[in-house]
Amino acid sequence: MARLAVLIWSLGPMLWQLYTSLRPTEALTGGATGPAGWTLEHYLQLLQGDPPFLIYLLNSAVVGASSTALTLALAVPCAYALSRIGRSASRTLSLLVAAAAAFPAVLLFLALLEVARDWHLANNLLALSLPYAGLCLPLAILLLQASFRDIPLELEEAAVMEGMGLWQRLRWVLLPLMTPAMASAALLIFIFCWNEYPIALTWLSRSDLLTLAPAMARIAGSSVYTIPYGAFAAATVLGSTPLILLMLLFQRQIISGLTQGAIKG
Amino acid sequence: MTQSFSSRRPREGLVLRELSRRVQQQTLLDRLTLEVAPGEILALLGPSGCGKSTTLRLIAGLDQASSGEIQLGGTAITNLPPAQREVAMVFQSYALFPHLSVERNLSLGMELRGVPRSEIARDLEQVLALLQLEGLRQRRPAALSGGQRQRVALARALLRKPALFLLDEPMSNLDAQLREDLRGELRTLLRSTGVPVVYVTHDQHEAMGLADRIAVLREGRLQQIGSPEALYNTPANRFVASFLGNPSINLIDTDERQLGLRPERLHLAPAGSRAEPGWSVLEGSLSHREWLGDRVITHVHCPGQGTLKVVDDAGQADGPIQVRWRQDEALSFERESGRLLPLTTRSQ
Repeated sequence: MARLAVLIWSLGPMLWQLYTSLRPTEALTGGATGPAGWTLEHYLQLLQGDPPFLIYLLNSAVVGASSTALTLALAVPCAYALSRIGRSASRTLSLLVAAAAAFPAVLLFLALLEVARDWHLANNLLALSLPYAGLCLPLAILLLQASFRDIPLELEEAAVMEGMGLWQRLRWVLLPLMTPAMASAALLIFIFCWNEYPIALTWLSRSDLLTLAPAMARIAGSSVYTIPYGAFAAATVLGSTPLILLMLLFQRQIISGLTQGAIKG
Repeated sequence: MTQSFSSRRPREGLVLRELSRRVQQQTLLDRLTLEVAPGEILALLGPSGCGKSTTLRLIAGLDQASSGEIQLGGTAITNLPPAQREVAMVFQSYALFPHLSVERNLSLGMELRGVPRSEIARDLEQVLALLQLEGLRQRRPAALSGGQRQRVALARALLRKPALFLLDEPMSNLDAQLREDLRGELRTLLRSTGVPVVYVTHDQHEAMGLADRIAVLREGRLQQIGSPEALYNTPANRFVASFLGNPSINLIDTDERQLGLRPERLHLAPAGSRAEPGWSVLEGSLSHREWLGDRVITHVHCPGQGTLKVVDDAGQADGPIQVRWRQDEALSFERESGRLLPLTTRSQ
C-alpha cells in the first residue's frame, strides 16, 4: 500500500502531463461539451513547427554530450589525484570543492554574460559546454573521488609492479573499474545540462540553436491570450522521453558490481 | 620447463644495508641489514606491525627508504621506480584485476611492457600448464576459489620473469588444510626460479616449513636471522624463543636468570620423585589436559611460576604432579634484557 502511494506520488505528475498532451485543447480549457476524445494534434503542431521541435532535442543532446565529455575529462584526473594525495591535503581540497558545489550559480550569471560577450561565445552550442562543465565539475569530482577511494590500493600497486605507467594504470585497471561510477556521474551531468535554463536562455538567441528549456519557455510565451496547455504538455513528454530512455539504458551499468572479487570474496 | 621463467641467474642476490624507514616520528624499520642468495627463500617473520610488510614494500619500491641501500644482482635499486626493478610481488589479497579474465590478467602486463605477441602466447601456455590453470582461462577472478586465485597471482608474478620474488602473506586467505597442502608445491615452484625469494608471514609453521632461513623482526628491528633449527634451538633472545614453537616456550624465573623450557622437553613424573643427577624438578598440580590426537598437552600449575605446558601425558588423574627436565636442555635468558646467556653458563 505504502509502495503504491509512493509510486503515485512520484509518477502522478508525469502521467498527468502525458494525459494532458493527448487531449484536445477544448477539453483542457473547459470549452468542450461532451466527450472530447483523444488527439495527437499537439505533437503534430510541435513537430511541424518552424523550426521543428526535434531540432531542440538535437541541440540539447549535442550540448549535453559535449558538456558531459568535457566534465568527465577534467573530473577524472582531478578525482584520481585527490584520492591519492595525503589525507590532510585531500580533506582541505575536498572541502573547497564541496564549497564550490554549494556556490549559488545565479551569482555567476552576469559574469558569464560578460564572458560570452567578450569571447564571442554567444550562439555557439559547444561553447555552452564551458559554463556547464564548470558548474558540474565540483559534484562530479566529489562523486568520482569517492569511488576511486573504493578501489583497493593493492590493485593499483599490482599494476605498478607489472610495470604499468600512470596512464596505463588508469586506462587498463582503474577506469574499467570506475565504469559504474562514471556512468552515474555522466548521467547526472547530462540531466543537468538537459534541464539548464537561465544560461541557455541568455547565451542563445537564434531560434534554430535553442536548447530544450528555452524552447519550451517560448511555447508557453507564444501567445498573450491563451495558455497552450496541450503543446506545453506534449513538449514536456518529448523532452523527458530521451532522459527516461537513457536511465533505462544505463541502469544495468550503474548497479552492476564490477569490483566484486577484486579482493578475497 | 620452469627454467624459462628465470630471466637470469644473478651471482649476487638481494642485499639490504642499514635499511630504515621513518614516517614522521615513527620508526617503522630500523637499520635492517641482511642478504638473500639467489635461489634462497628467506621468510620475514614477526607479529603484525613488526616491519615485515614495510621491508617488502621498500624492496618493491612501493615505499621510499629513509636511509640505507638495497642492492639486487650487484646494482643499487634503492631509488629506482618499481617498474624498473624487475621485481615481482604476490599480494596478500592477490590483487587480481577483477574486470579481466584469467588469461587477460596474465597477459596484460606483458603486452604493455611490449613483449612480442608470439612470446606472450608461448609463455602463457607454459605457465598455465605449470600451475594447472588451463581450464580457467576465461574465468573472471570472482569465479575462482581462493587457491585458484593464488595460483593466478603466482602465474602473473612468474610471467614478470623477475630478478626477485616478493610474497606478502600469500597463504593467509586460504584455509588451514589447503595452506599445508600447498606449502611443498610453493616451495618447489619458488626454488625452481633460481632467484632470491622474500616471503612475509606471521605464521611460524609456514616460515619453518617453507624457508631456508628466517628473519625474525620485532618493532622494526631484526632480532635474529638463521635456519629454522638455529632459531628454535638457540634463539637469540626471549622474544624469538617465545615466537617460535607451538605450544610456546615456558618461562620460569630462578634467582638470577630466566629459564626457557620447550614444552616437548619437559617430562611428567609422580609427585615427590627423586631428581636424578643433571635433572631439575618442579612440583605442581595438574590443571588440565588437551588431547590433540598425536600428542597431549598437559597444563601443570606450579605455585610461584604460573602454569607450565608440557607435551607429555599423565592420564586423567588430577592432583599433585612433578615436572622435570634435563638441565642442559633448558635455555637461560638474562632477566632484564631477555638475551640468551652463553651455552657454557647454561647448565649448572
